[in-house]
Amino acid sequence: MNEAKNPNPLFMPRTYLSTESNKTGSWRFLRPRYDEKTSPCSATCPAGEDIARIEMLATQGLFKEAWETILRENPFPSVCGRVCFHPCEGRCNRQEFDTAVAIHSLERFLADTAIRYGIKPDLEKRSSQKQKIAVIGAGPAGLSAAWFLSMLGYACHVFEASAEAGGVLRWGIPLYRLPLNALRHDIQQIEARGVTIYPGKPVSPDALEKMKKDYDAVFIGCGHGRGMSMKVPGEDLKEVSEGLDFLRKLREGETPPCRGVSAIIGGGNTAIDVARSVVRLGGKALLLYRRRRQDMPALELEVEMALEEGVELQELVAPAAVTREGDQVVLTLQEMKIAGEEGGRGRVVPDEGKTRKVRIDWIFKAIGAQADEPRYQPPAGASGLLSLSHTVLVRGNQGAVMVFGGDLTNETKSVVHAVASGKQAAMALDTLFQEGIEAIVPKLEACRVGEGPSLSMEIYMGGERRLRNPHVVRYEEINTDYFRFIPRVTQPRLLKEERVQSFEEIDLKISAHLAMKESERCFNCGLCNQCDNCFIYCPDTSVIRDKDHQERHINYDYCKGCGLCVVECPRNAMSLGEEKS
Amino acid sequence: MKRVLEGSHAVAEAVRLAKVQVISAYPITPQTHIVEILSEYCTKGMMNAKFLRVESEHSCMAALIGAQSAGVRTFTATSGQGLALMHELLHWASGARLPIVMAEVNRALAPGWNIWVDQTDSLAQRDTGWIQIYCEDGQDVLDSTLQAFRLAESVNLPVMIVLDAFYLSHTYEPVDVPSQEEVDRFLPPFVPKFQLDTAHPCGFGPLVAPSDYMEMRYHIAMAMEEALGRFDEIDAAFAAQFNRRYGPVEAIDCEDADIIFITTGTVTSTCRIVLQDLRARGEKVGILKLKLFRPFPAAQIREKLKSAKKVAVVDRNFSFGASGIFAQEVRAALCNMPDHPPVFGYVAGIGGRDVTPELLEAIYWQTKNSDVPQKESVWMGLREVKNAD
Repeated sequence: MNEAKNPNPLFMPRTYLSTESNKTGSWRFLRPRYDEKTSPCSATCPAGEDIARIEMLATQGLFKEAWETILRENPFPSVCGRVCFHPCEGRCNRQEFDTAVAIHSLERFLADTAIRYGIKPDLEKRSSQKQKIAVIGAGPAGLSAAWFLSMLGYACHVFEASAEAGGVLRWGIPLYRLPLNALRHDIQQIEARGVTIYPGKPVSPDALEKMKKDYDAVFIGCGHGRGMSMKVPGEDLKEVSEGLDFLRKLREGETPPCRGVSAIIGGGNTAIDVARSVVRLGGKALLLYRRRRQDMPALELEVEMALEEGVELQELVAPAAVTREGDQVVLTLQEMKIAGEEGGRGRVVPDEGKTRKVRIDWIFKAIGAQADEPRYQPPAGASGLLSLSHTVLVRGNQGAVMVFGGDLTNETKSVVHAVASGKQAAMALDTLFQEGIEAIVPKLEACRVGEGPSLSMEIYMGGERRLRNPHVVRYEEINTDYFRFIPRVTQPRLLKEERVQSFEEIDLKISAHLAMKESERCFNCGLCNQCDNCFIYCPDTSVIRDKDHQERHINYDYCKGCGLCVVECPRNAMSLGEEKS
Repeated sequence: MKRVLEGSHAVAEAVRLAKVQVISAYPITPQTHIVEILSEYCTKGMMNAKFLRVESEHSCMAALIGAQSAGVRTFTATSGQGLALMHELLHWASGARLPIVMAEVNRALAPGWNIWVDQTDSLAQRDTGWIQIYCEDGQDVLDSTLQAFRLAESVNLPVMIVLDAFYLSHTYEPVDVPSQEEVDRFLPPFVPKFQLDTAHPCGFGPLVAPSDYMEMRYHIAMAMEEALGRFDEIDAAFAAQFNRRYGPVEAIDCEDADIIFITTGTVTSTCRIVLQDLRARGEKVGILKLKLFRPFPAAQIREKLKSAKKVAVVDRNFSFGASGIFAQEVRAALCNMPDHPPVFGYVAGIGGRDVTPELLEAIYWQTKNSDVPQKESVWMGLREVKNAD
């Protein structure tokens, strides 16, 4: 080929000089930095679970590490993966994109996986402390307090009146929602950490006085186990009983009588639990609620499934009187009407003159609960009383510090709030022992997840999470160019025909494949998942990766502060700030 | 093997046979068929090439500049607005001496939106340092594309293969598609004269002071000049192997012609019919088809036109404020030749309007019946506009 001999030289713009001497970083007036932030789900979770990180680990198949990340903030993943009302999903940034991540199902999956493979957690534990702590009540609050206190190195003894630990989880939630093995696994996990539980040990007032001498602190988390009165005539008939007692008998292995028609008074989860249990025992359940369906405190999904299963709901009726007629009971109902709004729900008043009667066989009350004994309530106005968001501390002149927690002090009575209460109690007691009473409030303040009341034990114990910016990532701060629409996993469930046959658990397991696909949907708001967009987009090769590519830093000698790395970070794990000269 | 191929697919077949390694493109009518089938070839593994999807033609050319700098054979195709958007990087490609090959399907520029043929888009890129080759039919397209890679790589300049929208890009004709072995013999793998190489780090395209810039530009000018000779050599090598030869210009019956048409693209084919008709009636007419536009084959044009009495240039393009662009170029090539023939400029077929044999014949008679050109360009076939504001 003649043309291969090129007579023309290629005099081209090319340089062999290095530009290293030109430190372009001096041009910078904006400074990018790695700045991990707080995900809205974690700030919303009362237990402050590090959800964005949990999902990131699950995506990578690191199920044990993901499970341990839950355990650092909540000893009940198996329970909460089933019965938590998961407010996290309601604040998930992803719902503005397509639909929220199924955080609840993923928590359950991680707990199932730990059970299935018999995984033992490797968690940090502080060296032993000299103080001893007694816990009264082995419900979610008491056990959480013991869990976190033992993490902090304290010896904990838990005294439980019932024959088995678990509190409302053991005795107040039907099996189809929370099977025994799921609960027992979480409790065994807590015991394996060194917490000692003494079941069948009710604490009398005298015993409590002795306890105050033997221990440095006593956590009281007896819960609300006693029903409330309807304050209507005929309430003392034998056919009228407490919904919670009905559930307890069921969980004790008895079959409480409920043949025929049972009227259940109330609109909370207990009411729904009773109604659905009645259906499973072959009875007919009539749910009577004084407000409307949309005002019910019960979980919407629970209500929906209850109705599918054949529970009948009558709205805007309140019990007015109970009488007996022959073998049956007649319940007189006062019809109610909506008169404005209160707290986001309809305010109801009697629709005067409108009453009707229903002929039924049994009445179960589920209109709220209170502490079994008044002494379990924190003494209002006592000296030495410190009221925190989820607990109340009482210091007398001598003897142990008393801490009241769980339902006794929580505004919202839920399992995850009980966990939050136990955690707060543990932090407060530890700070009290280590630094004194004055340090408690500022110390708790520093352990907040985001700007809400949720607390993190990992932050408290000085873990990596303390470095996060408390700023809660907003949807607009996510670079959604890097995400595709992916449908949310559908939680598999028994069919309604199968459900009413037995107390078999309704929610089924999801596979690891589905779980990883679902966790991949998580934006991981505010966290670096090492996608390396910063490294790829930096026009000045000023993002430097370390050898194993796990960490990266910015070479400020050359970074011109263009901000590309910050903009192209899909998950807002970087920030751009003004350069301080 | 003879196949019935669309003009667009003739380009694509050539690109496949040339074993291009990186293709990047942004779709635009009437170019789409070219890259559509190429992306299919890449997906199906019929080509061992990376197809880069991009968000604009500007990015497309940037991507190819990167790929070509890394030392691989590259290709793209575009049209009209797309080419206009590439403009900045067309300069870059030639300045960086990168032998990128592009198929450019002539499309009228907006507004008003018009997807049909008009050469103004490619001619507007006249000064970007790209070699430009205008094609007449499907075979011409395939052959020119194959030659383009060899030409580009021999002088380190990018090449634009230009074809008419629809009249050529979407018209099916029999095309002789050579076998891979034959093409491999004609077009060996690309051996870059320079490339990005981490073992020998260097920076491409840095700041160049006035002390060097001018020489660099002069080298591009020299390479363009060299490309004229290279074009002939490659054309000859191609003819030796495939028995088809094109030349930078093609003279048809020019030796004894009084009036010579100058045409480009598919208009040439129509003009060949007109030539037969007129010759049959005793008219001494010829055609000079321009195939190579950059570098401009001025010497060949002067040679072929030296005995003509009049020249009629048919421009499917226009430079506002001047005249048809080919007419300007031909005038410039002739002006220093003593006793050169007068150049009659005609503008026809703008925005995809048909250039019929009747119209070309009208051009012939108008040229024959005028002693000297009255205007730089005469717009042919204009219709009366009644609804102008």
